[in-house]
Amino acid sequence: MVNRRTFLKTTGVAAGAAALGFPAVLRAQPKEIKIGAVHPVTGPLAEIGQACRLGAQMAVDAVNAAGGIKSMGGARLELILADTENKPDVARAEAERVINAGAQIITGAFHSGQTAAMVPVAQQKRVPFLIDISAADPITLNVAESVKKGDQKVQYVYRNFPTTRIFGLRAVQFMTEVFREAKVSPKRVVLMYTNDLFGQTQARQFQAAVKEKNPGFEIVEAIPYPENATDLSTEVSRVKALKPDILAPVTRATTAILMLQELAKQRVELMGIISPGTPGLYEAGQIAQLKELIEYVMDCVPWPNYKNPRTQKVAEEYAKRSGGKNFDTNSGYSYEAILVMADVLERAKSTDPDAIVDAIKKTNLKDPLMVSGGPIVFNEVGDNPNASTAMVQILGQKPVVVWPKDAAAQKFVLPRPKA
Amino acid sequence: MDPTLIGQGLLNGLLFGGVYSLMAVGLTLIFGVMRVVNFAHGDMMVWGMYLAWLLATRAGVDPYAGFLVCAAALFVLGFAVQRALVDRILDAPHEMQILLMLGVALVLENAALVTFGPDPHRVRSALGLSTLWVGPIFVDVARLVTFAVAIALTFVLYLFLFRTDLGKAIRAAADNTYGALVIGIDVRRVYAVAFGIGAACVGAAGALVSAVLPFQPSAGLSASVTSFNIVIIGGMGSLLGAFLGGLLVSVAESLGAVFLAPSLKELVSFSLLILILLFRPAGLFGKGAA
Repeated sequence: MVNRRTFLKTTGVAAGAAALGFPAVLRAQPKEIKIGAVHPVTGPLAEIGQACRLGAQMAVDAVNAAGGIKSMGGARLELILADTENKPDVARAEAERVINAGAQIITGAFHSGQTAAMVPVAQQKRVPFLIDISAADPITLNVAESVKKGDQKVQYVYRNFPTTRIFGLRAVQFMTEVFREAKVSPKRVVLMYTNDLFGQTQARQFQAAVKEKNPGFEIVEAIPYPENATDLSTEVSRVKALKPDILAPVTRATTAILMLQELAKQRVELMGIISPGTPGLYEAGQIAQLKELIEYVMDCVPWPNYKNPRTQKVAEEYAKRSGGKNFDTNSGYSYEAILVMADVLERAKSTDPDAIVDAIKKTNLKDPLMVSGGPIVFNEVGDNPNASTAMVQILGQKPVVVWPKDAAAQKFVLPRPKA
Repeated sequence: MDPTLIGQGLLNGLLFGGVYSLMAVGLTLIFGVMRVVNFAHGDMMVWGMYLAWLLATRAGVDPYAGFLVCAAALFVLGFAVQRALVDRILDAPHEMQILLMLGVALVLENAALVTFGPDPHRVRSALGLSTLWVGPIFVDVARLVTFAVAIALTFVLYLFLFRTDLGKAIRAAADNTYGALVIGIDVRRVYAVAFGIGAACVGAAGALVSAVLPFQPSAGLSASVTSFNIVIIGGMGSLLGAFLGGLLVSVAESLGAVFLAPSLKELVSFSLLILILLFRPAGLFGKGAA
């Protein structure tokens, strides 16, 4: 079927080629495939946004160095960079801008609220959107439901990242297993979370998973705090008054520092700090700032599978290009999103949005870079059900996978030694 | 409700309030003297924090001593911004003044982003993690010192404005610019000095809080909004109002975190603002709509 976009494009190219007197055949294949990469590169999530951008850029360079998209005459990938400034309205505007600038696929945007703001743009403009990072379930689910109901024809939004439901279930599973292995039985868990779309969904799914699995510990209280809080001393006093065994935080970078400082100052005694999955507790910058305060903190996050030699190679290059930073959740999934796109384009042999969507649905990419339950595939909702998390602990000032056992690089330390 | 927790919330709020007060005092001084709202206030504070960080990491100066250097540096910055930019728009409509100051804020924020990168920083101080215990209530020593220094600085500023010739000239220019010109005060110089002092206050506040509060280039905007909120609550242009307003807002936010869901604590300070605007539109210590 010829739609408006391809019609205009082919006629335009043909007209241009005719005017210049070149045979049209040479112009039939696009030389460059433009990918819009929308991340929070400035603002409070800038460290992460820049990691995502660098990850995506490195993957594009790798694909191009390996000969581009071979089924399309070696077409090269090219990123159109965009910045959400950590604001949903800007994310939406930037998505529109990159599409107007010619982006044929878009990726982004780390922050679930911002990703959600980009979804309608992708659907309206019929531009496939492969979400690299964003865990909130409704993002893909809402689109899948409206397609099912017939409100929309095609789903253009897909995600290669664990959803908050998977985060919650894995966190409870890993905690239960780790507690059993360590022969400890904590009872009281306090959940502290940042009050934005990601924090809320993450907290809710963790609570739901605890309820569902009934693991022998309970969440005695859930304390939300503002996303850009400047003071958490009273919140931490509240935590202390609840006498928890485990603190489960869902934070952002700055509030993670505030929280760990306050915990140390107020001498809150905990068996462990175990997050059901959060940024702010594993990045090199955070470790450099927090030093001993972040030691032994555990986080159930998606993580590169360092037992995969390909991952190790990418991580080495990443360290070189980032000035010594870790290849982690963010750089890792943004890198992998581009690899998935390259695979999809290779099979779609076209940049027609519907051809790309068909190819996305048939994806079966083996040997992912990230810790995973299997190959990269997309289910009926548009999510990769094999995307998983791992339990990471800061040991010797480095984030190390400590669980599940087969991916573990080191043995975990629990209960945390008293200061 | 646990009484210890309430006491703790009250104390935490009060101690943090010293910083809020110092921020707001700087803003209200600038506004009171030249009727310009410094929307770059928070970003100047962030630069104060980064300077404290530079001093601590490069020269080993503790922020509780380094704040004097930061205040001096910010004085120079404020003086220069006033002379180069603000001086040109003193008689311009408010929306033009706001645009200019927002522009300055953008430049400062992004200059910090280019220079220091996006990662959150924190300053390590000898006092950083020390605490005192009074029964079940803990006192954060860093905050206590911050509070004491902030109060002392506000007091020094008060003495300066009421006891020195230059201070009196600043107040005269604020009260009646024309009258000040008539009696031979160099109003342009006075304005630049006042802006410099306002910036120095917030620079000192930034340095003092840098050991307690992690910061990023983007932290400026919310600090500007908080300062502006406090100044309106206290009464635009009133030093005493800004000082007490800072303590009030901080305590209200802290108690909000005790009694309500902590994510609602900002709601408390802005509800306070709405209440004050309803019942005392000129603010707690405002002199009425002049």
